[in-house]
Formats: sequence, structure tokens, C-alpha cells
Amino acid sequence: MSDDMLLQATDVCKYYHSGDSDMAALDHVDFQLKKGDFTVLSGRSGSGKTTLLNMIGLLDTPDVGSLDIAGEDVLALSAAKRADFRLQRIGFVFQAYNLIRVLSARENVAYVLQLRGMAKKERLDIADHWLSEVGLKGLEHRRPDQLSGGQQQRVAVARALASQPVLVLADEPTANLDSQHGESLMNLMRDLNERCGMTFLIASHDPVAMAAAKQCVHMEDGNIVSSDIV
Amino acid sequence: MFRIYMRLGLRNLLLYPMRTGLTVLGLAIGIAALTFLSAMNDGWLQNMKVNFVLTQMGHVQVHAKGFEASRRIGDYMHDTSEVDKALQNMPHIQAWTHRIRVSGLASAAGANASVLVSGIESDNEKKVSRLYDFVQQGKWLQEGDKRGVLLGDVLADRLSVGLGDKVVLMAASPAGDIASEVFRVRGLIHSGVMDVDNLLALVPISMAQHWLGLGEGVTDVVIRADAFTSVDGIVNNLKQILDSKRLDSKQFEVLRWQEIDPMAEQWTIFAGVYTWIVLLVVIIVVLAEVLNTMLMSMYDRVREFGLMAALGTGQKQLFAMVVCETLVLVAMGGVLGFVLGAAASLYFGAYGLDLSQYATAFSFMYMSPIVYPELTFNGCARILIAAMLGAVLAGLYPAWKASRLNPAAAMREV
Repeated sequence: MSDDMLLQATDVCKYYHSGDSDMAALDHVDFQLKKGDFTVLSGRSGSGKTTLLNMIGLLDTPDVGSLDIAGEDVLALSAAKRADFRLQRIGFVFQAYNLIRVLSARENVAYVLQLRGMAKKERLDIADHWLSEVGLKGLEHRRPDQLSGGQQQRVAVARALASQPVLVLADEPTANLDSQHGESLMNLMRDLNERCGMTFLIASHDPVAMAAAKQCVHMEDGNIVSSDIV
Repeated sequence: MFRIYMRLGLRNLLLYPMRTGLTVLGLAIGIAALTFLSAMNDGWLQNMKVNFVLTQMGHVQVHAKGFEASRRIGDYMHDTSEVDKALQNMPHIQAWTHRIRVSGLASAAGANASVLVSGIESDNEKKVSRLYDFVQQGKWLQEGDKRGVLLGDVLADRLSVGLGDKVVLMAASPAGDIASEVFRVRGLIHSGVMDVDNLLALVPISMAQHWLGLGEGVTDVVIRADAFTSVDGIVNNLKQILDSKRLDSKQFEVLRWQEIDPMAEQWTIFAGVYTWIVLLVVIIVVLAEVLNTMLMSMYDRVREFGLMAALGTGQKQLFAMVVCETLVLVAMGGVLGFVLGAAASLYFGAYGLDLSQYATAFSFMYMSPIVYPELTFNGCARILIAAMLGAVLAGLYPAWKASRLNPAAAMREV
């Protein structure tokens, strides 16, 4: 794997059992990601975007194949080490129900930093900084149910970035947002990618997301059918 | 991390105030009842021990070697001067007295009854036992009144004698001869304790020594300690002193109050078992109340646990988080229940709980019908530790389930 390569998935398969037969959610997928990429995985529902994202995020395990992230064979890691890898290296933005509902925006962002063992003042300063970066200054103490869907997604982005991960994975981040908020969120992530050099991999079939991408990877029936630099 | 676990636990519980409130209320009622029950048990036991010791037994007794087992008058102590000398300067001793104890027969106006004759030092006896307080009719034995006798009221009834009547007491002397003496009834005793009321005849020790031909000898040295906790120290101290004079193993036996009457020992063991039963019920109450709530909470938040796992929260951390939440829940109910139970125990500890309508029959077991619950440090610690143990047990299964969730599958849950 070359120095600028961040992720390499080789021959990855994932099967789900359906009755007597196995259904391939991922069918011998090869996929690469370079540092600083802003890649959108597109495709219809059921095409395998989320499944591939889950494999790369170490939230699920492929049945076949290998996966290297930042030079590490992550499939060889134990469950505890995978959790630690996620904590140290990967940031997540999910489609919905993204935040811990009993924590404020600030506490949600600081949660991951606390898991890393960071001191209270430092983590709260960082949380405030990133909430300010995503345009939520003044809303730090609000709980998720006191924020709009767009604001909640911004908190999730702030949380994903606050720990300075090598890779940010976002699964349908605009799915529950209106077009204006969706575009604003994608612009924010693209801006952070440009300024901070973080690598983004976004699963979405939203045209707004695809318009923001540097690279578009299209999936169908568990296969990558095209990959285009935009 | 512990603080964030506790904060998360508390906030999650407050998210469902009705569910949490009902669980806390149920727990509080259960813990309050069990705290009070435990205090009742401790109070009852303490009361029984005090009654047992102070009615006549004393905290510690010294006999001639083998007397407690044989109860033969022949096994009496010829000379207690070394024992008396040892007791004089020993700490934690409130008082001591000498007695002569012998079984015999009482006869009056054609009626006969078995009797336990106790020769006592009238002044010292008042400092050691409560027999003086139990004189219901007549008066306590006076110095110089050689032929006075105090009888248990039931014994007097059997003999059909009252104050001023004559009673003949017969007992075997150490030589095996039957010796008899005439006494006049000076008072009647009612203690509520069967052994005392049905059998006891108190006579002056000097008369008993003369009558039975014991010279200066006695059968018992009865010691009253300043507290139950001092008993072991006194016994060890006394044995050590007597051993150093090469007297203990040859001449004396030094017995704790539990060793004198097996029933007292049995009651102590029973009370201990009862305590364990109470603690078991505490654990079951906590388990029953909390397990259901925690499982419901866990299933409600599968997505949230999945999210936490996805963010990098380890299995052990998720496990600890759920257990902490259970502890917070039980702490709320437990503290409330404990405060209520402790308040009830302190109130009745001060004013007493009168069970005389139901519990007079217990007096033969040295139990007073008015119970004063006793809130001891050990009792409190036991209840709280049992509640927390119950909480941990109740949290284990939901915590295990939460920690084993597959993040991807959990986050697909709606």
C-alpha cells in the first residue's frame, strides 16, 4: 500500500441468510481510498453502500476478503481493539438517531474525547471549538430534542471531527434533512475536508451529496460498477 | 469515566420519570420494611441477651472444673480467693457475686415441688442480676435474716404458701446425705421466665453453706460485664491469670453466657440465620424490582448502545455503564427506603413497639413483649450492601446483553 493510500479493501464479500439461500450484500468488492479524499458511495437502496461502510467502519465483519486501514490489517483485531480503532481513527455521522439523547450537544461532542481519556477542560474547549466550526455556537447546552434535524447532524459532524480521525464515515447524512440543510451540511463537510485535510467517505444517493464529491463510486447489487473523479 | 457513567445512568432514569418513580417507590417500600425488620430482629436479640444475662445468668461464670456439666454439689469451689483477687483489678467488670446452686425438693403443707435452690449474697446479687427488681410481693432478703427465702410465684402457688409461711427445702450435701432446712417465705418473685418463676428459691448464701456443709465454698462466681463486647476479653484475661497461677486447668472453668445455656446459643445462631434470610429477601426484592426495569430500559435503547459501541465505547465500558445505571436506580430507592426504615426503627427504638397482646408467651425465652428495634451499624451496612449486591446482580444480565450488541445490527433497530 502506497504512502498516500489510506484504505484498501480487497475481495470483500458479505452474505445475509434469507430463507434457504444466501444473499450477497457485497460481492467481491475491491475498493481504495486515498488520504484527503472526499468520496461519495452512491447507488439505490440495497445496493450495498451501507454494508460496505459498516465493514470499513468495523461495525460489521466481512465473510471473505481483507481490509487495511492506515496500514493496519483491521480484520485481525479483537473486538476490544476494533472498538479502540474506531475510537482513535474513525469518525461517524449516521443517518438518524445520531446523538446520545441525554447528553447536551457539547457533551455529545466531548463524549468521544472522554473515552480517549482527555482532561475535562481540554475536551470541552475542543467541543466548543468544533461546535463553533459547524455553526452551533450558543447551542452547546441544548439536548438533541431541543435541536432541529439539521442541527443534530451538525453536532454529529462536530463529534466526528473533534477527535481528529484519519477517516470520517457518513451514512446518508442528508437523508432526514430538507434540501437547504442538506446542501449546507455537505458544504460544511467539504469545507472541513479542504481546510483540515480529513478523508471523508459518504454513502448517499442524494444528488446534493454527489455534487459535493471529489470522487463518486457507484454501487449496484453489491458490486462497484463505476468510479469517477469529479 | 465513572462520572460519565453515573451521569448517563441518572439522566436515562429521569427520562422515564413514571417508570423510574414506580421502581424507586417499590424498592423504597421493600428496603424500608426490611430495614425495620432487621432492626426488630437485632433489638429482639439484644433484648433477649440482656434479659438472659441479667435475669440471673451473668455475662461470665466461674465454676469448679466440670460443675456445669455435672451440676453435682460435690463439684464446688472450696476457695475462690484467687478468682476474687483477679476480678478486683480487672477492667470492664461492673460487679460480681458468689452463689450456691443446687437442685432439691421443697415441701410445705403437704405439697412438694422440685426446686432450684440458689444461695445468694443479697447485696452483691442486686448489682449483678435483676432478681431484686422481680420481687412482686414481700421484700428482698435482708442481711442477717438466715431463714428467709424468696420463691418464684408459680412455685409458691404449687406449694400453696404465701408470705410468712414455712417451707422445708431438701437437697443432697456433697457427701450424698439428704439435708433439710426450714425457711420462712419473705417474698415472691415474678420474672416471666419459666425457670425462675417455677423453680427458683433464693436463700442467704451463708445459710446454704451451713446447711449443705460447704464451709466457705460456693458453686458459682457470677460476673456482670460492662458490655457484651467485653465478655471475650474478660474470659481470656481471667483464664490467663488463673493459668499463670496453675489453677485454671486443674480447678476452674470459666464460661461465657452462651456456654452456660445452650438455648441462648441456639437463639444466637437462629438470629444469625434469620439475618441471612432477611438479606436474601433484600436481594430478591431488589432483583425483582430492578431487573424488569433495566431490561425494558435496555431494549428501549438498543440503538443508543449501538451508537455508543460504534463511537468506540468498549464492551467493558458498556457493561459498566449499565451496571452503574442499575446502581443509581437502586441507590435512589435504597436510600429512600433505608431512611424510612431507619426513621421507623429509631422511633420505635425510643418508644417501643408493644406486642404484649401477642407475645407474652415468648417471655419464657427471655423476650420482653415490648420490642425496641435496634439500628446497629452492622445491621445498616448489611442491608445496604445486600441492596447493592442485588443491584449488581440485577444489572448483570442487561449489562451483558448491551455489551454484546453488534453495533451495525443494533443501529438498524427502530
